[in-house]
Order: sequence, then C-alpha cells, then structure tokens
Amino acid sequence: MKIFFALLIIITIVFGGYHLTFRQFRLPLIARTFYLSGLEFILLGIILGPMFFNVLDGNSIRGLEPLMALLLGWVGMLFGFQFEISMLRRFPIIQFLAAIGEGLITLVLVFVGIYMTFGFFPEVPINMKVIYSIALAATAACTAQTGLALMASANHIVNRDSLNLICYISSIGGAGALIVYGFVFLFRPETSSSVSFLHRLGVEAGMTITACFSLLLLYTLFLTKWRRSEELNLVIIGMAVLSSGMATMLNLSPLLLNFFMGFWLVNLSIEKERIFNLLISVEKPVYLMILVFLGAHFKFDSAWPLILALSYIIFRSLGKFSGWFLVLALRPDSKKHSPKLGLALIDQGGLPLAILLDLLLGFRGEFTKIVISVAIVGIVFNDIIGMYFQKRLFVIKSDE
Amino acid sequence: MNSSYWRRENLTSYFFAFIILVLVCFWLKSFHVESSWQHAGLLNLSVGALMLAAHIIARTLKTFRLPLISGYIFTGILAGPYVSGFLSFDMVQKMGLINDLALSFIGLAAGGSLHVELLKKRIRPITFNVVFQAIIIFTTVFLFVQYFGHLYSFTQAVTTVQLTALAIILGATAVARSPSSAIAVINECKAKGPLSETVLSVTVAIDILIIILFTIAMTVVRFLFVQSVESFHGAFFVLLTEIGLSVFAGIVVGKGISFFIEHIQDHLPLFLFFLAFGIARFSLAMSFIMEKYLGFSIHLEPLLICMSAGFVVQNFTPSGFFFKDSLKKIEIPIYVLFFSVTGSSLNIQALSVTWPLALSLAGIRIFGIFAGVGLAGILSGDLLKYTGIAWMCYITQAGVTIGLAQLAYRQFPEIALYISTVVLAIVLVNEIIGPIALKVALHLAGEADKE
Repeated sequence: MKIFFALLIIITIVFGGYHLTFRQFRLPLIARTFYLSGLEFILLGIILGPMFFNVLDGNSIRGLEPLMALLLGWVGMLFGFQFEISMLRRFPIIQFLAAIGEGLITLVLVFVGIYMTFGFFPEVPINMKVIYSIALAATAACTAQTGLALMASANHIVNRDSLNLICYISSIGGAGALIVYGFVFLFRPETSSSVSFLHRLGVEAGMTITACFSLLLLYTLFLTKWRRSEELNLVIIGMAVLSSGMATMLNLSPLLLNFFMGFWLVNLSIEKERIFNLLISVEKPVYLMILVFLGAHFKFDSAWPLILALSYIIFRSLGKFSGWFLVLALRPDSKKHSPKLGLALIDQGGLPLAILLDLLLGFRGEFTKIVISVAIVGIVFNDIIGMYFQKRLFVIKSDE
Repeated sequence: MNSSYWRRENLTSYFFAFIILVLVCFWLKSFHVESSWQHAGLLNLSVGALMLAAHIIARTLKTFRLPLISGYIFTGILAGPYVSGFLSFDMVQKMGLINDLALSFIGLAAGGSLHVELLKKRIRPITFNVVFQAIIIFTTVFLFVQYFGHLYSFTQAVTTVQLTALAIILGATAVARSPSSAIAVINECKAKGPLSETVLSVTVAIDILIIILFTIAMTVVRFLFVQSVESFHGAFFVLLTEIGLSVFAGIVVGKGISFFIEHIQDHLPLFLFFLAFGIARFSLAMSFIMEKYLGFSIHLEPLLICMSAGFVVQNFTPSGFFFKDSLKKIEIPIYVLFFSVTGSSLNIQALSVTWPLALSLAGIRIFGIFAGVGLAGILSGDLLKYTGIAWMCYITQAGVTIGLAQLAYRQFPEIALYISTVVLAIVLVNEIIGPIALKVALHLAGEADKE
C-alpha cells in the first residue's frame, strides 16, 4: 500500500511543482535561479526519503523500479531525437571535431581528477572506482541544452553566433558522454573478476547489438505505415516499456539503449515529428520525477565526500575552459568568439541527472549513493552559476 | 493503393513483428534474473511485450471482423500462466494493479458517455431493462442450479444448503456485466444511436444495482450457513450510506476535474489517469485505515465514484469536451493492458474441469437475458428490431464478476472452490462470446460506423 501512496505523492508533487515552476510562479530573479535548477525537487526527494519521512523507503523504491526504468528509457529516447543527421550536417566537420574534442577533454580531466581523489577512499574496490570515475566524467561532459536553446530562440540576444556554437557543442558533448558512460557496464563487479576484459566486451557488445537490432526491426515493422495517433501512442509507449525492460534485464543501460532507438527513429522514421511530440509532451514531469528519486537516495553522512564534490567542480570547470580553448583554436573564425564564453558551458542540465539515476539503479550500494550525492551537489552548483553566466554573457542587460 | 493491398501489407508487417517479439521474449526469458533491478526489467518487458502482442493480434483478428477486445483477451489467455506461461502467476498478480487503475479509468469514461438528455428520452426502456433483466436472470440461474445442480459431476458432492447458497451466489453474479467491455466495443465501433445508448446506460445501472443485489445475496447466504444474520436494516443502512457517499465523492471529484480543466489543463490525460489510480487506491486505503483504527469501515466504491465524476463533468460543467477528448487520447493503451491482463488471469483449467456446468449456466444466463430484454422491449414499446437483437449486447462479463466471486470466495469457505471455479469458467465463456455478440448487434442495428 505504501508504495502506491509514495507514487501518488511523487506524482502530485511533480505535476503541481511543474505547474508552479514553469507556468505560474513569478519569483524574484535570484530565487528563480535556484527554483529553475530543480533544487526544490531534490529537496522534496530528500524529505520523502529515508533521511526524513521515509515515505520512499527501500521497499517503495524497489517497487517503483519499473517506473524508473521507463523514465530513463523515455529520457534516452528523447535525447536521441536531437541527433538528426540532416540537421547536424549543416555544421562544418571541423565544428563536429571541435565539439568532440571539448567533450573528450572534460571527460579525461574529470576521470583522472576523480580517480585520483578516490585515493582518499581506500575501502572502495578498484573496479568500482573506475565505474564511478567514468560515470562522473560522463555527467561532467554534459552541458545544458534546453536553456541555451530557449535563449537562442529569444530576442535581444548578443553573441548569437557564439550561442549557436555552444548549443551545437552541448548536443554533441552529451551524446559522447552517454556513449562513454555505456562503458561502465564492462566493469560490473559480477562479471569483471571471472572473465577477461575482451570476453566481457564481446559479450556485452553482442547482447547490445542483438537487443538494438531486434528493437530496430520492431520499430521499423510497426512504423512503416501511417498510424492513427491513438495507435501510434500505444506503439511508442509499448516499445518504450519493452526496450527499457529489455535493457534492464540484460544489465544494460535503459538510457543508452533508448538513446540509440531515438537516434534511429529521428533519422529513419516517417513518424518522427508525431513521436517527438508525444515524447516531449511529458519531458518536464519525467525529469522532475528523476530529481525526486535522486533526492530520495541522497546520502551525505560525513564531510569527506565534499572533497569529491569540490574535485568534481574544479576538474569539470578546468575541462570546460580547456575545451572551449580547443574549440577556438580549431575554428578559423576564432576571433569572433570571446574566450570567456567558455563560462556558458558550465550549466549541466538534465541529462547528467538521468545518468546518475541509471548508475544508481545499475550499481547498487551505499557508496554509489554517496557518489551520486556528490554529483548532485556539483550539478546544482554548476546549474546555478551556469545560468547566471549564460545570462550575463548572452542576454542584453535590460532584458534580464 | 487499394485497401486490401494495404491491409495485406500491414498484416505482413504485423506477422513479422509478432515473430520477432516472440523470439525476443523467449531469448530474454532464458536469462537468469537475480537483482530487483532485473526483476523490474522483467516486469517492464512483460508489460511492453503484452501490449504490443495484444495490439498485433487484435488488429489481425479485426480483419475477420472480431472486436479488438477479443484480440486483447485472446492474447492475454495465450500469454498467461495456463497456456504459454510467458506470464507467471506472480507476474499476473503484480499486474492486477493495472486492473484497479483501468477499472476506475473506465468508470470515468462510462460516466462521461452518459448524456442526461438521452437518458431522459429513454428512461422507460432503461428502467424496464434493468428491472426485468435483474429479476429474470437471477431467477433462471438460481432455479437451474437449485434443481439441476446435483446432476453435474462437479457439484454432486455438495449438500442441499450449500447448493442453495451456490445458486444464490451464482444467480447474483450472473446479473453482473462488464461495463468496460461494453464501452470498449461501443467506442471501437463508433456506435451512436438508441441501442448503444440504452446498452451503455443499462450496463452502468446494473453495475450499481449489482452491488445492492450482491449484498443481499451475501446476507442471505450468511444466514443459511450460520443461522444468525445481522439486521437487514443495519446492512442496508451501511450499503446505502456507502453508495450515497460514493456518489457524493464522485460529484466532488467531477467538480474538481472541471476546475482543473478550466484553470490548469496541463497534461490533462495524465492527470485523469493518475486521478483514477488515486481514487482506486484511496478508497481501499480508507477502508483499511477505518477498519484498523475505528473498528468499522465504509467502503467507497471506486467505480461508482469515477462514474459519478465522469457523469458530472460531462453533463453539469462546461468541460465535457476536453474531458472526453483527453480520455480518448490514452484509452487504447489502458484497454489493451486491462483486457490482456484480464485474459491472462482467466482460468482455463477451471473450464476444463467444469465445462458442462459452465456452458449450461452460460446458456441459461443468455436465455434469461433474452427473456428480460424481450419483456422490457415489449413493455416499453421499444422498436421491435432492437428487441430481437438487444439481448446480444448484454452477455459480456469480466472484472466486476470476478471481483464479486472473490468476495464470496473469502466469505464462504464452505463453497469457495465451487464459486471460484464455476464463475471463472462462465466469465471465460462470456468474455469470449460477449464482445463478438455486441459488435454483431451494433452492426445489425445499423449503429456502428461503416468501415
């Protein structure tokens, strides 16, 4: 019974909160910055979780795992929809390489930095240190896209070319991060000790390819003909549930598997616009639910994890600045873009939160909770200052 | 491109999709599931596969003019623990949550389908149908079981008192209908006209009446077994209070929905979906909490709350259009899941054990429906063509009947085995032939859209 009430409370909070946050509330600018970072939903999750009211206790969370898998699948598919090849081709190849380079620099810097910081935590097994470092590096490589995209479509914007460039970088960076994140499943403790790395790679790749191939065939067969909207909704919901279930059962990431599905659909399906409209219609509530679930797992029982959080923020900032300099170095028109615009890459957005939930569910453990708490602190911090910098850099003062 | 070519090509892609789906499911079922995360994945996989397979099978059967819900139910039976075993008993039990949710949602849709103006116009046939069907169906089934029950091998061992009790319970459950099936078939056929309006109204009204009828039946059976019954007045007072409170709660919820539509409207389909879920769970929880802390409980009927709410929104607020439009957007996934889960929980073994009795009772029930509808048609002066075919519209039985049987199962262990086995077998028969008969009747009446 408790699980249903937990679910109802979450849903009420999320939908009510969505309405208040995005549709109704008019708060002063500073309060709005905190509010739009989603911090209040994480706090609600913490309050509902075991630290306070215990509405979302271990059993309730386990009972809600099918829903969480679906949420991750939904986000993954939605993210995959951003990679329409015909749209990406409009940008020159050098820009693509620059964006990949920016993401890679952040990934490598954060991975090395976090892995070294794990030296302070000798009790964590090495393979778990690798998993956490990869996952945190993947979250660090992400840059918020929605805020930037919304800003790009607004009036009274300065440095519009730079803003478009940063939007593009953020899209490519997110995809690279998600694919790199997929590698954490190779270091899974249950398999990593018993077989060789190459064998694991072969098995995981085989399973992923089989799963992807069968899902792609199904999508193709279902969507070769025009469907009425009710029928299309049924197929998309059914496929999202099926693919998230398949990924979870195979110990793969529902986020990543559905990202590939989204990528496939946006590039090959005749129904891409209608499917996108369905997916995007619940985007915000989906993210808000993810925030609540992450909040419920928040765990900070000593000050030590703050070292990790600090390390995460510093190495990520370093990565983003270095990445931006690489982008400028590779572009022939580098003088058009100010070096300080790298600050606009600080805001992290929603994808890293989905990666964290995926990590949490795929790699259970008390230390995983600490790791995701560290990342949440970093992400919220980056979102708050990132939004501030974006406004300073791109919005004409009178429009703030 | 002509329609037969289109249909053939569509069926080919459905066929291959089904094959792939089955292969994927068998492949994944071969994996050893360990963690709770993998169990969650298994549940999602099963639900997703069931939805898609039900969709494929229903669409394929539709080319043979069978109603979609027959396809959903058939898929459920195939996937269920009694046939392929793709869904285990445990999985079917977990999916029972879908039934609670869907029944409330269907209640909203049922209430929203009733229009005051049309009800006023057809008040006579509706009233006559409800009264005569209830009386005649109960009487024929009761008399049949009472006088011929001992002739069947399955019920040979029961005592006279047990046979009477069984006759009363089976008579009462025979009156129950499946509003969900009726609504689904009427919506699918896009049927409009006097017959479909009457069928919908009668089915919904009987759904309310059955609660009263079943309470009386349970009270009488309790008296038969223990010879000491609480006062009928007391029992009825509680029952009437529950019905009154449920209707009142429905009015409040209906006004709440209208307020939401007028002032917020964000994600309305999802709001209605979760509201239905909330009502189903809240009424259960309230009953449980009252029983635990106050020593008595008032059970608000979620179906009745939702039907009243839908009725209020549709008829007494300006939000009816948005309400129906939103329900329409998510009804197909809910119907698919509800009916396929219902199909998977149908007990095929029960039919194999009790088929002579089940088939006889299903036949007797249809005779009762025929007589009741015929009498109502003649007395209300309804059109003759409806009197000849209207009986075909009232055969379906599903969740409500099973729910009532489970209630009796828990109350009377003396005859529990007989009740559950026979009722499940009858429901299986009625749920297979009922939707088909309803669709045929709507077509014969000329109320179904020509496809």
